[in-house]
Amino acid sequence: MKKEWETPKLEVLHIK
Amino acid sequence: MSTNQSLLPARPIQRETGNIASDMNGEKVLLNVNKGKYFNLGEIGGVIWELLEQPMSIRSIVDQLLSIYAVERATCEQQLLAFLDQLLDEGLIFMHDEVRD
Repeated sequence: MKKEWETPKLEVLHIK
Repeated sequence: MSTNQSLLPARPIQRETGNIASDMNGEKVLLNVNKGKYFNLGEIGGVIWELLEQPMSIRSIVDQLLSIYAVERATCEQQLLAFLDQLLDEGLIFMHDEVRD
């Protein structure tokens, strides 16, 4: 059974 | 920062070096050492990132994703291209010069 698809997104994390 | 590059479907793409990747709760987190920036690629982005360890054409990546996820080819390809454009803009991937199938 195939997995559910989600839109791939690139999130920039603001870590100092 | 934009590189003013755009992805060409026939050109293989691959991930750049200089990034430290880690899995956190099923999501892929990257540290770009040169820029000191952190990124979260999410679960599917992490799968794509792993595929890009070797040079791969966009068609090959789509084929791999279709074997794992329940999604239409057109939707997968459209959203993959948008995601790869983001990676390219951030300097996380690059395109090879030669054309491959």
